[in-house]
Parts: sequence; structure tokens; C-alpha cells
Amino acid sequence: MKIKRSVSDQRKKQRYRIIAASAAAVILIAVALLAPMLSPNDPYRTNSAIIRHAPCAAYPFGTDNLGRCVLSRVLMGARTTIAVTFFLVAVSFVIGTAIGLLCGYYGGRIDDLLMRVADIMLAFPQMVIAIAVAGILGGGIAGAMTALGITMWTGFARLSRSHARTLRGMPYIQAALLSGKSGPYIMLHHILPNVLEPLLTNALTQIGTTMIGISGLSFLGLGIVPPQAEWGSMISESRAYIQIAPWAVLFPALATILTILVFNYLGDAVMEYRMAERHT
Amino acid sequence: MTDKKTEEDMVILEGTNLNKTYRSAGRTVTPLREISFQLHRGEVLGIVGESGSGKSTLLRVACGLERPESGRVLAGERDLTGAGPSAAGKYMQMIFQDAGASFNSRHTMRWSLEEAIPAGADREQAKQQMRSLLRETGMSEDLLDRHPSALSGGQCQRMSIVRALLSGAQILLCDEITSALDVTSQAQVIRLLRELRENRHLSILFVSHDLALVSMLCDRVMVMKEGACVEEGETQKLIREPVHAYTKELLGAAESFAV
Repeated sequence: MKIKRSVSDQRKKQRYRIIAASAAAVILIAVALLAPMLSPNDPYRTNSAIIRHAPCAAYPFGTDNLGRCVLSRVLMGARTTIAVTFFLVAVSFVIGTAIGLLCGYYGGRIDDLLMRVADIMLAFPQMVIAIAVAGILGGGIAGAMTALGITMWTGFARLSRSHARTLRGMPYIQAALLSGKSGPYIMLHHILPNVLEPLLTNALTQIGTTMIGISGLSFLGLGIVPPQAEWGSMISESRAYIQIAPWAVLFPALATILTILVFNYLGDAVMEYRMAERHT
Repeated sequence: MTDKKTEEDMVILEGTNLNKTYRSAGRTVTPLREISFQLHRGEVLGIVGESGSGKSTLLRVACGLERPESGRVLAGERDLTGAGPSAAGKYMQMIFQDAGASFNSRHTMRWSLEEAIPAGADREQAKQQMRSLLRETGMSEDLLDRHPSALSGGQCQRMSIVRALLSGAQILLCDEITSALDVTSQAQVIRLLRELRENRHLSILFVSHDLALVSMLCDRVMVMKEGACVEEGETQKLIREPVHAYTKELLGAAESFAV
């Protein structure tokens, strides 16, 4: 009885963690969406009269080397970083899952080929491949997204493939085959609903990593390039003046850390909840 | 009388010289060796043998879930060899050992049953048929809105039978369908199969290792060992006067277990 209660208490705690992390994530997304309305100043307007101005009432996070409002740029940067990250995770999710389901369900040579490609991708650290690819493609959002996406699909593909391989022998799938259902139908209606949960958990944990990737590439000048507001490129732009205007580096850095923490915490909380579910 | 006799003599499913081999990690397993069988309309043919004797493989080959290396599968006039499960599904449906896993846990029973309605069939009529089949199998319509985890093993197994009948198939391939059920559910499922066979003139291939069940339900029995048929005959005669040493061994094991 006591053990039972402590298990249910633990479950409750895990649920609260998920709710708290989701609330924080929703606030961050809302801030990103409402950035133009929340920004006190124009994030792109330069002003030589207030270069590297310390935080004050008009510029709560101070100004940068070109006299632009750091708060407004951090808010607009949230929009860029979060939008690019979500888009990239969503595209990798769809492509990776489709490849994984096809490979796992049908098997054969295509499966061998694509899984070896995935192995090669996984053999290198993600950031090394991303820097190399982004370097070849040149700067820009599209280049950075391609560079990160080239390895990101593998996680989704491996996960959905392993589930598809396990599930394809299940009696309910054989019953569907005997009812004349096609492979794509079975993948969509029988396998995908069973893989969706682990895939979504994986997507949540990928958000933090992808943000580090996007900001990292932008910091190196291989991602989103100025004047577009993006946290990594903001830090890169202002780091030369860190001793004179530390706020111009501090606030985008804090925003990056906070956002990554929130999404990683959410991913971990959901993962922990699911693991506990499997063991009860 | 003559017409009835002719109808009962009609071979509804036939396997001829079926062979199947699996190769994995340098090992070769041959679950089917030159095996042939005939199932007549309205007949229950029992297939017995110890684990690994190829009983389940025979069913899987018959319904196209596995392709035989050689041999033929005929449903009446139609050659189903290598035609795949979707072609075979029009003639036969399989009832699996694991009743719970026969339904996707993500969907309700209604969804799973409606999935079996053949494409092009009148859906309203099929749904009506579903309701009458539920009544026939002694189940409440309320169960339709539940997920498989909320049903007992016996209920899931009866739902599997309803699903198989909804597809319009005239042959049921039963793969150890009672081995995971408690005694009461076993009796219910067996009674149901008997009734369906009487009322609907279904033909059944009944794979089991339980000779008592086989003797209750089957008209004829085929004994399999290492992928080959060692003896075949009318159930009561085979149990009373087994010819092959392996059949005697099987019957002996069952008797000693019963004592």
C-alpha cells in the first residue's frame, strides 16, 4: 500500500514537472509569436547617438554597437530561433519517420542502404558535419537548416524503423493484411499511432540540441546573418565589446540558455514519465 | 440428399506438396516438407503435433502470409500460391493464438471490426451484419467502444471470430486459439466454433496441441512431425487405433497428463 502510494506520488510529481515545463515552453513560444508587439523599440533601427548604452528605462537591456535596442532584438531573435528550430525539427520528424517506417516495414536493400547512410551520419559529431556542410553551402538560414537537418532525420528514422520492424509481425497487422490493406495503409493506421509517442518525445529532446546548433552556426557566421536578429549572431557581433557593453552579449546568451533549458527539461520530464509508465 | 453429399465432398481448400525452409545465421530449418492437405466444405480438420512441427507455418503458408518454396495452395478453383494475404483473405481468415494482440491497442474494437469490411461492400449492411454477429457470438454492442485492453482474452478471441466472418471468408484458420484462455473461455470459444460450423457451414483448419479439444471439434486429424504429415484420418478412429509410433506417443503423453 505504502509502495503504491509512493509510486502514485512520484507520478504526480512527474506530471507537475511536465505541466510546469510545458507552461514555460508555451510562454516562450507566445513571446516569440508576439515579439513585434512586445518589442519596445524597432529592433533594426540603428542610432549612433546611443551606441552601447547601458540598460535604462527606454532600453531595458541596453543597446548594442550600432545603437539598436537589445531587448527588442532578443525578442525578435526568439522568433527567428524558435521558428527555425520548430520548422527544422518538424521537417526532420516527417522525413525521418517516413524513411524509418518504409525501411522497417519493407526491409530489403533500400533498408540496408538507408540505414548504412544513417550509420555514417551518426559516426560523426553532429556539429562537425553541420559546420562542414554549412561552410560548403555558405551562410544563410537555408544553408544552416540543411546542414543540421542532414543528420537530424537519422534519430527519427532509427526510432520508427525499430518500432516498425517489431510491429510488422504483430497479429493485428497480419489481420489487416488479410483484410486486403496495403503497406502504406498499415504504416499510417497501425504502426504510426504506436510510434508517435516515442517520436514526439524524441522531437522534444531535439529542440534544445537544434537551438544550440542554429545559434552555434550563426555565432560562427554560418547561419543566420546580421542584420536579422538571432541570438547566436547577436552574441558573435557583440563579443568584441564584451568589456564595454557586456549586456549586449549577456541577454541573448541568457535567452539562449533559458530556452534550451526549458525545452530540454520538458523533453526529459516527458521521457521520464514514459519510462516510468513502461515499468508500471 | 445427393446434392448435400456433393456439397460436403467439395474441397474448399487444398495444399499440395508444400515446402518451406528458413535460413538464418547458417542454420536451416524446414517447417514444411512435401505436405499436402484437403479441407472439405463444412469440415473441421485438426492439425496436431509438438511445438516446432510446422503446424503454424502451414496455416501461414495457406493464407499467403508466407510464400512456399514449392507446392500449390488452391481455394476451390482459384490458385492462391504466392498471391499474398490480400487475395487469400477473401477465402480465409486467421484467428491468432494471442487474442489481445490480434487488435491494435490504439483503436477501439469498432474501428478494428469495421476495418475488416471488404472494400466495395455496402457499409450499412455490413454494420448490421456486425451487430447480428455480435449477438450470435453472445457479446454486447457496448464492447465495441472499448479498446482491446478492456476486454478479456475470451472476448477478444470471439471478436476475432466476428472480424473474420465480417470479411465474408468461408474458411477459418485457427492457430492454437484456445491455448492462452482459461477453461471457461476455451469452452465458450469451442462451442461458438461448433455453432458457426453448423449454422454457417464454415470450414475450419484447427491447429492445436490439445488432443481433447481436437477430439471434441474435429472431423479429421492430421498429425505433423518435423514438417511432414505422419498420419491422417477420421478423428475417433485415429485416437482409438493410431498407426504411427509418433501418434501413439502423442496420445500417450496426453493420457499421462490427464491422469
